[in-house]
Amino acid sequence: MASPDPSAHPAEVRLRDLGPATSPVEVVARIVTLERREVARRADGARRALLSGLVSDGTATVRFTWWDPPREGVERGEIVRAVGAEVREFRGRPELVFSWKTRIGPAGEAELPRIAPDEFPLRTVRELRSPAEGFRLEARVVRTAERSVSVGEEQRVVHEGLLADGSGSLAFAAWSDFGLRAGEAVRFTGAYVRLFRGRPQLVLDERATVVRIEPTGLPEPAQVLRSPPRLLGELESEPSAEAVAVEGTVVQLVPPSGLVYRCPTCRRLVSGGLCRIHGEVAGVADLRARLVLDDGTGSVVVAVDRPTTERLWGTTLDEARRRLQDQPDPSLLEESLAEAVVGRRLRARGSIVRDEWGLHLTPEAIEATEVDLETAAEELARRLPGSAP
Amino acid sequence: MTVREPAWRVTAREVEAATEEERGVGEKVASYLVSPFGSRMNRVLLAGTLTPAEPVGREDPPTFWRARLTDPTGSVAVTAGSFQPRAMAQLRAAAAPRSAIVVGKLHLYRGRDGAPQVSVRAEAARSVTEVDERAQLAEIARQTFDRLDLVERLERLPTAPEEELRAGGSPPVWIRAARASLQRFPQAERAAFRAGLKGVVRRVAGDLGPAAVRPAVPTSVTVTPDPAPRAPSPPPSGEQRSDEAAFLGLVDELAEGSVDGYADLRELLQRIAARGVASGRAEAALNRLEEEGTIEEPIVGKLRRA
Repeated sequence: MASPDPSAHPAEVRLRDLGPATSPVEVVARIVTLERREVARRADGARRALLSGLVSDGTATVRFTWWDPPREGVERGEIVRAVGAEVREFRGRPELVFSWKTRIGPAGEAELPRIAPDEFPLRTVRELRSPAEGFRLEARVVRTAERSVSVGEEQRVVHEGLLADGSGSLAFAAWSDFGLRAGEAVRFTGAYVRLFRGRPQLVLDERATVVRIEPTGLPEPAQVLRSPPRLLGELESEPSAEAVAVEGTVVQLVPPSGLVYRCPTCRRLVSGGLCRIHGEVAGVADLRARLVLDDGTGSVVVAVDRPTTERLWGTTLDEARRRLQDQPDPSLLEESLAEAVVGRRLRARGSIVRDEWGLHLTPEAIEATEVDLETAAEELARRLPGSAP
Repeated sequence: MTVREPAWRVTAREVEAATEEERGVGEKVASYLVSPFGSRMNRVLLAGTLTPAEPVGREDPPTFWRARLTDPTGSVAVTAGSFQPRAMAQLRAAAAPRSAIVVGKLHLYRGRDGAPQVSVRAEAARSVTEVDERAQLAEIARQTFDRLDLVERLERLPTAPEEELRAGGSPPVWIRAARASLQRFPQAERAAFRAGLKGVVRRVAGDLGPAAVRPAVPTSVTVTPDPAPRAPSPPPSGEQRSDEAAFLGLVDELAEGSVDGYADLRELLQRIAARGVASGRAEAALNRLEEEGTIEEPIVGKLRRA
């Protein structure tokens, strides 16, 4: 095979610059996800192997289709160099096609495009509400906490927390320890945003870099964590919000609330002795309350855990179980909880996500709302006609 | 997305005035009542004094109950039926008027004369402390002022951009409601309504005891339209009396002789004419007897004694 003509040799392209006009291209990228399939050819029914998935080079992530790949030896996380790849457009997004015309070989970490940090556009938290990558972000670390999670067989520590800039707050999860401390102002490069349980989350892995910067113009952690309550009617037009406070009246208790039974493995509610995932299990008793909190402009379902349910109800889990022995009708227990909570004025702070049924709040704190009636009356009196402005 | 309807914080006066209906079209679409003061409501939250409930209808045991919630601006009927057992039990729970908050859906009823009546179908009716009632009234007054301000601003500046209004703290549902109010009630007396909130503000301040703000409003009122006044008819003359007697005699005679027990009207009128009674006088006598209830005409053209 003759060596390729240097003039016809396609230039190496970054994934964020892909377009149909650039085809064919040379790219260096990491395989992020991978799926092996076989498709039947329409003409003769012969089966043809293909690999598909996502590749990323730090500037963008795109889908790829690899026809007639090697039988084995292609793994997730591997970096490849593809020369002569076709670019197709699907639903307005570029995709890569590796065919018999494409030469693919392994590549090293150092061959990935090196991008100067200032090449990435600077984004604000508000602009990062949906999956994104290839940006810079300057924000304040509001809080951090370590959590141990099992990824497959492996136990890993993830550093989770909250970031904020002047435009809003964003959850983060760092899979490497960047030593982030609450109150620090930092610039992130090479991080990406994904949706985790409906909430956008900034993910920092080993490819991300973190630089400490001057906190000019960034909010103090206390400002973020003690922000005044927001209207639910406003939050209904946002897909999610972090560490947000809302205030309203409990107008309904959503069943099942009160005494519930959970799967001992996954803590999902057990119904009829069955867990959705683990089948027949012996449920573990727990208390919970799902409150509809309404502020006159909108409403949110607040999922209240056991300690707070006990505090609002004035009944402990043990007492609830004992009452069930005296009168074995569980609906009376739920009725008693409803009696205790409906009509209460509460302030809740936590993360809010929106789905097709409305807003859901996972609270960090719930407290009764106190009103100074005298001050309230004075303020209201000023709004009556004929009162001095 | 079917988002739960918010419970609009409103006064009884605003509920009474919300007589413009916006009906939802299609499946599971909410209907709304639009008030002149910036609300477009499906669900509401009111605070005030709730009277004991009275049963409605003749069913035994009763399946529908009605109470009245009174706040310093007015009062509104609160109902609950057996389809809201929890709310029905709460409405029936009290034997005396009490401080309460009511959450429920609005219901517009137009009587035969077309007069609109708005009531609240309760989802929850809770007794609260007097302090809680005042705190809820403070919130009701604050939001009512906010919505009024928005309506008045839009009235002055109908083209105010939505982003600007939202930046001013008005949620999208309020902006939409304010526009609906202006469209449905272009001539509303908003200044008088604002002035009417004075009683609520005083109640928040605790100026008036609960007894003083409780007007004596009966739980339910049956409205019977006044019948048109009628000139008392003069007593019948001797001649008229004799016509009637002749008439009744003939009715009996014909009924006796007929198969079905009725006197045939045409035959009756022929016979009476044969006796020399003018048709006008015969008709008049017939009308008098029917009005008195002496004879009736259950089938057209067939008469009998009542």
